[in-house]
Parts: sequence; C-alpha cells; structure tokens
Amino acid sequence: MAGSSTVLSDDSTLSFLDRKLYRLERFFALIAGIFAFGLMVLAVVSVTGRNGFNEPLPGYVDWIETFMPLIAILGVSYVQRDGGHIRMDIVVGQLKGRVLWAVEFITTIGILILILALVWGSWAHFDRSFDMSRPMWSRDSTIDIGLPLWPAKLVVPVAFAVMSVRLVLQIWGYGRAFIRGDETPAAVPLVQSVAEQAAAEAEHIQGRD
Amino acid sequence: MTPVEIGLWVTGGMLVLVVLGMRVAFAAALAGVVGLVWIFWEKKDYEAAEFAWALTVAVKTAGQVPHGKVASQALSLIPTFILIGYLAYYAGLTRALFEAAKRWVAWVPGGLAVSTVFATAGFAAVSGASVATAAVFARIAIPEMLAVGYDKRFAAGVVAAAGTLASLIPPSAILVIYAIIVEQDVGKLLLAGFIPGVFSAFVYTSLIVILALTIKGFGPPVTGFTWRQRFQSLPPALPIVAVVLIIIGFVYNPFGGDAWGTPTEGGAIGAFIVFLMAVFRGMRWPELKDALLETAKLSVMIFSIIWGVLIYVRFLGFADLPSAFSDWITSLDYSPMLILICILLAYAVLGMFMDAIGMLLLTLPVVYPAVMALNGGEFVSADDSAFGMNGTMCAIWFGILVVKMAEFCLITPPIGLNCFVVAGVRDDVSVQDVFRGVMPFFLADGVTIALLVAFPWIVLWLPSLAS
Amino acid sequence: TEWNVSLWGKRRAFTEHVHKLAELVEEKTDGEFTMNISYGGLSKNTENLDGISIGAFEMAQFCAGYHADKNRAITVLELPFLGVRNLDEEVAVSHAVYDHPAVAEEMAQWNAKMLMTSPMPQYNLVGTGEPRDELGDFDGMRVRATGGLGEAFRAVGGVPTSVTSSEAYQAMESGVVDTVAFAQHAHLSFGTINQAAWWTENLNPGTVNCPVVVNIDAYESLTDEEREALDSSVPEAIDYYLENYGELLQRWDEVLEEKGVEKVTISDEELAAFREATASISDTWVEEMTAQGIPGQELLDLVNSTLEQTRASN
Ligand code: NA
Ligand code: NA
Repeated sequence: MAGSSTVLSDDSTLSFLDRKLYRLERFFALIAGIFAFGLMVLAVVSVTGRNGFNEPLPGYVDWIETFMPLIAILGVSYVQRDGGHIRMDIVVGQLKGRVLWAVEFITTIGILILILALVWGSWAHFDRSFDMSRPMWSRDSTIDIGLPLWPAKLVVPVAFAVMSVRLVLQIWGYGRAFIRGDETPAAVPLVQSVAEQAAAEAEHIQGRD
Repeated sequence: MTPVEIGLWVTGGMLVLVVLGMRVAFAAALAGVVGLVWIFWEKKDYEAAEFAWALTVAVKTAGQVPHGKVASQALSLIPTFILIGYLAYYAGLTRALFEAAKRWVAWVPGGLAVSTVFATAGFAAVSGASVATAAVFARIAIPEMLAVGYDKRFAAGVVAAAGTLASLIPPSAILVIYAIIVEQDVGKLLLAGFIPGVFSAFVYTSLIVILALTIKGFGPPVTGFTWRQRFQSLPPALPIVAVVLIIIGFVYNPFGGDAWGTPTEGGAIGAFIVFLMAVFRGMRWPELKDALLETAKLSVMIFSIIWGVLIYVRFLGFADLPSAFSDWITSLDYSPMLILICILLAYAVLGMFMDAIGMLLLTLPVVYPAVMALNGGEFVSADDSAFGMNGTMCAIWFGILVVKMAEFCLITPPIGLNCFVVAGVRDDVSVQDVFRGVMPFFLADGVTIALLVAFPWIVLWLPSLAS
Repeated sequence: TEWNVSLWGKRRAFTEHVHKLAELVEEKTDGEFTMNISYGGLSKNTENLDGISIGAFEMAQFCAGYHADKNRAITVLELPFLGVRNLDEEVAVSHAVYDHPAVAEEMAQWNAKMLMTSPMPQYNLVGTGEPRDELGDFDGMRVRATGGLGEAFRAVGGVPTSVTSSEAYQAMESGVVDTVAFAQHAHLSFGTINQAAWWTENLNPGTVNCPVVVNIDAYESLTDEEREALDSSVPEAIDYYLENYGELLQRWDEVLEEKGVEKVTISDEELAAFREATASISDTWVEEMTAQGIPGQELLDLVNSTLEQTRASN
C-alpha cells in the first residue's frame, strides 16, 4: 500500500545494494501487474471471440494457468522488501532496539532457510518438466492445448532466488543494527512505531533548519 | 510418535513463530516443510542414514506447492477483482460513489461512517475482493472522517469492516472459490449472497447510528447539502451502476436465451469496462502503472499466504489430520444444530490465525462433507433433513455462513487481513488502532451470523426463486 | 509395510478398484501390508506422477490426457475411434499397451511402474437444445472435450472449449458450451446430466486413460510375500471395478428416464463419416511420436491386434 515505504536509506554499501535490488524487485512486481491486466484482456478476447465469432480462445484455461505464477509469486520479494507480508506484530510491536533486531534477525533467518529449501524444491519441480531433448523442451504440458509447463514453473525458483538475496540483505541489516544498537537502521522495514519515530525525528531536524 | 501427534506439535511450533512476528505465510510454510521432514523420517524410524532422503523428499514435495496450487483458474479471480478495485479508484468512480452517499445520507448520526458503509456496499456490486475494497475506501473515506473529527481508530475500523461486504454482495471471488471447491452452482451461490450482504450492511449502519447516539463527540452528522447538490452528485456515480448492470446482464442474459458467459468472465468484463472509463477520465500510464503495482502487491500478499498455508496443509495431509478430524466430528453424539454452531465457532478461532481463502482451502474438503452428512446427505429431501432444507439448499446456506465467518476473520486479531491493509494504506494508523476501532463490528457480525443460522430463508429465498 | 496412495476428488466408481486392492492386499498379508488412501491430501491430480517420482507416496492414479508430455506413449489409448466397445476390451488394450517396453521405459523416467488401469466407457455427449444426431450439427458446436477428443470434434467443425470438469455444469448452464463429453459416472458426479436434454448413446468417439502406478523403489523393497499379494490382487480388483461400474451403467437408463433425457442414436453412415473425418488424427499422432523416438505405429498396431484377440477369444 501507501507508496511511501518504511525502509530508510543511508550511504552504506548495504543501503546501496538495497536500492539496487529494489529496482529489480519493482520491475518484477510491474511484470506481475501487467500479467494481471493480461488476465483481464484474455477474458475479454475469449468472451468476444466466443459470442461474436463463435471462436473461443483456444486453451483459455491453459493460458490463465500459465499466467498465474507470474502474478502471484514474481513479486514476493518486492513485498518482503517493504515489510508488506502479513504478520502479527503484537509482540514485536512492543520490542525496541537490540531485542527487536535480535528477534527480527532470527525470524528472518528462519524465512531464509525456508526460501532456500523452496528454491531447491521448486527448481526440482521445474527440472522434472524440462528436457532439452524434447520438442519445446517440454516434459510436462497443460491439459487442453499442451502448452509446455516449464516456463511457468521456472518463475518460482527465479522469484525465490531474488527473495533469498533480499533476505540476506535484511539479515545483514538486522545484524548490523544489533551490533551498532541502531534505533532506526537503514535497509530493513521498520515496524510502525519505529517508522513514526523516524518521521518525527526528521521533522524535528527540519524544524531546526 | 504418531503422525497425528507430529501434526499437533508442528502446529504448535507454527503458532509460536507467528506470535514471534514471523510473516504468517512463511511461518506456515516453514512449519509445513519441517513437518514433512519429520513425517518422512519417522517413516524410516529416524535412522540417521535416511535423514537426507527424508529431507529431499520433503523439500521436493513442498517445492511443488507454490506453482501447483497457484496455477488455478479459480484463483485467477483474485487478481482480477483486485485490479477492478484499483482501476475504479484511479478512475475516480469510488470517490464519486462516496460523495453521492455522503450528500444523501450523511445527515444521520454517525453520518460519514454510514455513508462509508453505503458507498462500500454499492461498490461491492462491482468488486469481488474484500481486501481491495478496504484498501480503496481507506484512501477515500478515512481522510474525510478524520477531517470532521472522527476518532481515527473508529474511522479505520468502519472501512475494514465495510470492506467485507464485497465478498457477500455479488460478484465475489470467495463465493466462486467455495462453489468450485464443493462443486455447487456458482450462479445460485452468488444470488444467495445478495440479501445477507445487504442485511449485513444494514446491521452495520444500525450499529453506527446507535454508537453515534450514545457516545458523545463520536462523529457529527454532516448536513447542509441542498437537494440540487444531492442530485448533482448522482451523474458522476452512475458509471458504477452501469458497470453493475452490465455484469448482471452478462451473467443473467436479460434478452432471454443463453447467458453471455460465466460469473468469472463477468468479473473480467467488468474490470475491462472500468478500465475504459478510467482511460476516458484521463488515466494514463503513470496512474495505470500505480494501479498495476498496487494490484501486484496485494495479489502477492494474498497468494503468499495461500501457498504458505497450503504447504502446511500438504503436511497435514501426510499426517492424516483431516480424516482424524472428520471421523471425530461424525462420531459426536450431539444434535446437528449444536455441531454446526460448534463448527462455526471453530471457524472463528481458526480465522484468528488465517486468511479467509487459506482457511476455506484448508477446511472445506473435511468440513463440507461432514456438514452435508449432518443434514442427511447430498440428495436428502427437505422433509427428511436435519436442517429442514434439501442437499443443494444446505450447500448454499452453509456456503454463505462459512463465507460470512471467513469475512468476519478478516477483521479479527491477531491476523485480520483487512485491518492490515487499512493500516498499510494509512501511515497514520497502526494495525492496533484498526483492531481497536473494528471491535464494535464483531457484535454486528455476531448478530448477523446468528440471524442467518436461525432464519435460513434470509439466505435461501432468492436462490429458491431461481430454481 | 504401509503405503500411501494418492487419488483425487471423492470416492466413486472410478476409484473402487483401488479400495478393493487395498482390502485384498491387507487380507492376504494378515494386515502386514496396508494402504492409506488419500483423496487430494498428498498431491494435486496433475502432479501425482511428480509425487511418485519424488518418492513422496508409493501408489497413485493419474490420467494420460492431463499432461501428454509426461506420458506420450500411453496417449495412444486416448486417440479417437479406436473401436473399443466395452470395459473388458478397454482393460485388455490398456494392459497390453502398459506392458509395452516403450511405456515401461517412459514410466521408469518417473520412477513409476504401471500396475493397472481404471477403465472408463466411451465419452458420450450430453447437450442442451435440439439433439445433434448428424455430423452437420457438430459444425460450430461448442463442446467441452479435451486432448484427442477435442481434436476429433474440431475435425468436424466443433469448437472445443476449455472448462475444468468441475466448472462443466456451470459452463453448460450459462451457455459457454453446448455439449459436454464425459463418461457416465462423470455426467452423474459433475451434474451435467441435470442440464441435459439429450445423450448420445453410440457416438463412442474415444475415452480417457487413467492408470494406477506404483513407485519402483517401493515396489522392489516389498517382501516377496507382499509383492505376490499385490500382483495377484490386480485381476480381482479390476473384476470388482467392472462389476461395480456395470451396475452403474444399468442404473444409467433409469437416470435418463428420470431426468427426461432423450437417448440419441447416430446412424451408421454419420458415424462412418465422423470416423473418416478424424482418421488423420492417428496418422499425425504416429508421425509426431516417431519423430520423438517412440514407436507410435507399433503401439497403434498393438491396440488393434489386442482388440482382435480379445474378440476372438470371446
Ligand atoms: Na462483491
Ligand atoms: Na483474523
């Protein structure tokens, strides 16, 4: 939501990498959005073809199923960067400073372990459907018009690989914040109260100018 | 350890991670992967040499889920309905709707909050996704309510609660998903949602008026609109009505004969018309890009929870927990109505930790057959049934009840998607604020659900006309 | 030994042989070898072969048409107008094809071994409006049919339309499709029969082939006694399936009558013309398979010779 993100930046290498990666993540999210739009266009084409020309879009369902992973998964890292994935912040909302960074550090490592496992697992899933020696490199196809499944399956490990890089940056960020005892570290999403505090400070500084 | 015991341990572990603040989607998925490793290793009696095998099989099994479950025509409705919401927002349609509602009804106590509910209910006839509706109205209605002195917590709560109307008033992504999971007629289910949706809206507005009358300084009525101003507000809101009529006409062909398409396609056609209007009203690439990015973001949030929860559900499948539950339910020696009420209460508890769609995907394969069996089976006649309705009607009634429960869960802490979304849109409102503000609506929803349970004809009257 | 078995949907005529097999195996091994049958809990239906390949479960059912590229060789059994007349013949040709080395080799790539088939009768049409009993009526007809069957209808001017089986009812009601091709049990379980005005009794354009497979490693690590119990139970399980499906087919006429569905008989000339129009589909199939190193012609011949043998022995 809210175009304004709660991730601060500074002149460190970490923050530089954060912003670079963010550009890639935004690009991925835009692709996801464009394919959501494409889904709608697909329906319009299919309905018009069917009712207007008795010529429904061949493999309409197959195309939808091919689009969906792009829409649903490609942006996973973009949302993680801004701290947009849903969580319960009743406990972390009460924490501050080093304790907070320690908890964030640990849970983010947990997520990294999961995502690395899923890179492996989803790559294996892709790999089973892919065979260079076959027509269209396909060893698994859709039900109706036999589209190869491997491109849609490949989306998942790619999205998760980017997500892993993002998680490494966030772990680095939380670790650095823990060591330095930062109040408002850069390159990690801040929980609401901390973000408010940062905004208030910025206002305070501006007021002195 | 038996698989069912492993299932319970892993579930407990997941809850700890959620409480510690790990993102819900990933906490569920991590629990699922760990659980799968455990189950497969247990199968080999925990031999050290077999751990690598168990890990490989578990990871590969979990790795199928994100692509496999997301590549689904049924779920493709979610991004489409989210897109409608943002396109309508950027086309100014939602603002026009809110403005009209404001000029016509804001003179009552709690006027702006009541206007919000009405505008949202009107928009629900175009939108099929609660979260998108909440996100859009958070941008429009909250600033206006704050401007006249509403408590920000209550302003946010109204929007979060009113957003849930989008999933009862047709079209509705979640009703279509229910229909597909349980293989029932989508058209009748959508029809059945209409009266309960409007009914919910009236319960919400009554509650607001009562609150406004009892709490001092709650939110003043907004008066002073002339009739001229009122009628002037109507034309800009008309396009929404046009879109609604087109969607309805598309799904229930007014000229007789075959319909032009399925409700799924109707949603997409509606989105396309809204898109054309937005372009006509001056939307260009920068605005479209914003709409697409917002759509992607909200879609990813929802789908991450879906695949995360489904990895955990896959583990539950191997742990055989669902069938243990089903056996237990059907072995109970209580009256069917009592069991039904317990099931609904269980949904309320489960919904605290889960998103609406994830919850339906998790539970319906187990619970739906159990409920149908309670009523006397799929082909039971109304006279022989436990709830006084035939199998088809029972499926529709239970569907509306479950969807209403699922929508209720969108506003209950600790995991209430609508509340998170509203807090996400408004930087000045925290999640806790929204949860505080939405609390009165728990009561309203409780009343609505109790009435729908006690008087099934509220749900069944409209679809019974159609058959 | 405990095996996990991955099926989908709900228990129906189409899955009864698996339940029977589990029962027989458990009996024969005095409860030593049991099967835990799951409907959709272990895998998505189009990913059952993946699950077998991973080793997540030991036994599974799938349909060839769901993913032709995973199981090219057995798609021969889904070609239109093979001339299979009843379930016994369907079992005979399926098992003959399953025993072919090309099939075994392709399945082995998924770490899978064919165990038995799930024979289904020919997919006939139900439709709304006027009965379509002539080839000319198929022109412009929107039909829900997948894979080879869809191709067959396309060859005579039909318009195959994608809807999932669970949306077939809705698609018919809303006019997205005019007709739906299913086996009888599916017309019942997906409710398309409730929308129908007519049903073609003898179009018999072809069917879908759905084998039950086992994981090779799991199969080989069974004790001799367990493996013997499993192998010897297959014919009994199939017999049970045929008997059960036969009862369903007997009930079918009553269902038609009850729902007021007209039985449409298509004349021999029309059928011959349909067969003629779709003849090139098998040729194209053989060509494509041969190009990929699969003995397509040999498989097709095997189907025909098996049919002849089955009929000769009766
Ligand atoms: Na709606
Ligand atoms: Na909740």
